Amino acid sequence: MASTTSDAAVADTKPFDIVATYNELLRSDADLTMPIAAIEALVLLLTQSASSTISETLDLLEKSTAHLKRSIPNPIGLSAGTDLFQRYLITTLQRPGQLGPAGDFKAIRTHLLSNGRLFIRRAKESRDKIAAFGRGFIRDGSTILTNGGSRAVAALLQKAADEEGGPAVRFRVIYVLSSISQDCKQPNEEPEGMETVRALRAKGVPVSTIPESAVAYSLGKADMVIVGAEGVVENGGIVSRMGTYQIGLLAKAIGKPFYVVAESHKFVRLYPLGQYDLPIEQQVLEFKSEEDLEEERKQQSSVTKTDGDTSIKLPLCDSVDFTPPHLISALITDSGVLTPSAVSEELIKIWF
Amino acid sequence: MTEPSNSVPTAQVLTPASSALEQSQPVTENSPQTLPIRDSKPTKPTGDAPASTDGTTDKPLSPAELKKKAKADKAARRIREKLDKEGGTIGSAIPTPGVGAQARSPTTPKKDAAGAGSAQKGPRPLTPRRGSGPLAQTGSVLVEQKKKKDDKKVAVFGHLYGQQRRVTVAGATKEVHHAILALGMQLMDYTICGSSARCVATLIAFKRVIESYTTPMGTSLARHLTTHLSYQITYLSTCRPLSISQGNAIRALKLFIAGIDPSTPETSAKISLCEYIDSFIREKITVADQVIADSAAQKVQDGDVIVTFAGSSIVKQTLLLAHNQGKRFRVSIIDSRPLFEGKSLARDLAKSGLDVQYSLVHAITHAVKDATKVFLGAHGMTSNGGLYSRVGTALVAMSAKERASGVEIPVIVCCETIKFTDRVALDSIVVNEIADANELLPLNTPVSLVVRDPADAYVPPPPENKKGGNRTPVPEPPVTPHKTSSSPLANWRNTPNLQLLNIMYDVTPAEYVDMVITEMGSLPPSAVPIVHRMVTNL
Repeated sequence: MASTTSDAAVADTKPFDIVATYNELLRSDADLTMPIAAIEALVLLLTQSASSTISETLDLLEKSTAHLKRSIPNPIGLSAGTDLFQRYLITTLQRPGQLGPAGDFKAIRTHLLSNGRLFIRRAKESRDKIAAFGRGFIRDGSTILTNGGSRAVAALLQKAADEEGGPAVRFRVIYVLSSISQDCKQPNEEPEGMETVRALRAKGVPVSTIPESAVAYSLGKADMVIVGAEGVVENGGIVSRMGTYQIGLLAKAIGKPFYVVAESHKFVRLYPLGQYDLPIEQQVLEFKSEEDLEEERKQQSSVTKTDGDTSIKLPLCDSVDFTPPHLISALITDSGVLTPSAVSEELIKIWF
Repeated sequence: MTEPSNSVPTAQVLTPASSALEQSQPVTENSPQTLPIRDSKPTKPTGDAPASTDGTTDKPLSPAELKKKAKADKAARRIREKLDKEGGTIGSAIPTPGVGAQARSPTTPKKDAAGAGSAQKGPRPLTPRRGSGPLAQTGSVLVEQKKKKDDKKVAVFGHLYGQQRRVTVAGATKEVHHAILALGMQLMDYTICGSSARCVATLIAFKRVIESYTTPMGTSLARHLTTHLSYQITYLSTCRPLSISQGNAIRALKLFIAGIDPSTPETSAKISLCEYIDSFIREKITVADQVIADSAAQKVQDGDVIVTFAGSSIVKQTLLLAHNQGKRFRVSIIDSRPLFEGKSLARDLAKSGLDVQYSLVHAITHAVKDATKVFLGAHGMTSNGGLYSRVGTALVAMSAKERASGVEIPVIVCCETIKFTDRVALDSIVVNEIADANELLPLNTPVSLVVRDPADAYVPPPPENKKGGNRTPVPEPPVTPHKTSSSPLANWRNTPNLQLLNIMYDVTPAEYVDMVITEMGSLPPSAVPIVHRMVTNL
């Protein structure tokens, strides 16, 4: 488990750094999603801290959550995790009995921590559950268009590809490789999703990789679109890798079903009204004239790069867009296949 | 029944009370010894509390039997009332319940005039009042033309004409508390208008009813008070059909009354009831409004042009809050006849320093052109996500969503969960409210606005399309400086083939609403039934 490695890493730095822990967790375990990493970081925080009262614990939690959200350029994904954990803590503490406000705080704490771990383990298993739910969507002879580096989508496709001895389902995949994400990577690094492409090809699934500009051209050959999501928002829309929205629009225009694969812990209490209503700052649209460019060049030459306030702005390769719910046919989650409008129901269930 | 027009309202209350006594004679099979419950009028059908049926019958009856009996009583009483009225004035034709309501207005012209006279004594706001001028005019209508009257119902909405609204306090039963009588007057002439305001006013009036209530001998408060309140509710619903919020509040109140332990002493029960009402208003409306305004104001951004329709109190609160938070935005108020609810909103916002543009609904395409967001208030939200609100709202929402070019404008509804209902509305025909068609006559427009003032002579002709700031344009192009009574439609009741329709609400389909902001958070319209279930189960 990843927590054991990071436990050791954190132990020597006495003042617990939640941001470093979070980043470390994400780096150490490639299978970890942002909300789970956030929850795990918070559980570690509680293990480290010596809080002895409920309000102290909640206060600590709130402060570190705020700190974490401030320090990460795109806190949408992780806020799903922190909100969920906080909510879980509060409901546990409000429950009557031994673990309620009247009970022994020590017991409450150990219970919380053990349950937090259990939650993390369950969340990791959710991808298999999703794959089981979503398998039925992939039929023999179908062609699936997908994008990005979603691990849930990869798990689903791979599960469909390798059922007991040889590919049970014969399907083809059109993989859209993002051109934006290549911009800020090392020149020799492969684009996001190539790993999945290789894994699928190794399993005998024919995969075609296309650039984003070829989506409209290729959609005619596809039977459905399956994408992953960074966060599922309250109205059932998704926040996802830049380019998902346009695939959704095209799929709607051409009349192909558009499915989203997401773990239910990615449901986030956020209600964007449009692309520009997300609580993050993106550097996608930058209007510049020749004059501005000149100035920029001058500044770059005079001041050598110092990573100061640039950290809070989202780099272009990590930019996201919002796909509104009316473009989404269904969400394949670990609690079943949901329509977009059912997301708010699930969220309300968690929150009230 | 024909009092002089300057009689005091109390005299009008007394007459119906005594007539109610006479009426109650044939229905005395229920407990003859207790006076106030002798007229065993049943509860309104909206009340579904278990204790709503009469608890004082001699022999035990099953709830179904009780209900049936209550229904029969009610029907009988209605027919009697009709008979009294018909008989008292003209003494002709036994009306069937359906026709009777419609036939009432021409037969009681003097009474209507009396009611209008008394109504005018109160403080007169700008809001148009019902029943003052136009009904007096109908006095000239001859009784023989009753046949024609039926043509005046718009066929599609025929089912909504069922019960004509009350225009005076006359005919109220003696059980109706004076606070309720006053509230009824305010409701019927739109002095108290708007779903939340009506709900709060009703609850406050009920508090006064409860304070002055004493349980009669032989019954308990938990069982009798609901019946007593039912008289008040029935009276209020004859003044103006109850709003969804009123219905929900009444339901909650009845449930609370039914849950009171019968052994609780009356004074403490009354205190707990009043406390319940206070906390209900605080939780469901006052605090809810603050929470909604708080989260709705977050959606307002610098440079926004916000379109709103008519005058919603919660939208006003939101916009003022956003303004006080230092956000710089413009507001475009779309208003419509005949209530002109947007006028006071425009005035209040402009007074607070906001940039306001006011136009009527026919200028919607211009207003939507540079809009970035639409904020709407609600009368209710139906279970299929429909927004049930002042007529014209759907037009505004649809114009915003269907704008030919450019990005979609998000349509945001601010609505307390008290306004959610489990009913479903597919169109605005099945459930709606019909107001007096006379309100559509230009009589509502004050003469001073129609007569052109020399100072106003430089006003450009199409005032609606002005994009300019705080100016409140003339609501109608000043055409005829005639006397308003010479409106071409003034005599519409006698004009063949002419029908006037004054509908109050419409339904905006869920797909035209992007977001519903409630005190429970922001929801898509599809989440309305879930939240409603949750709120009512608590």
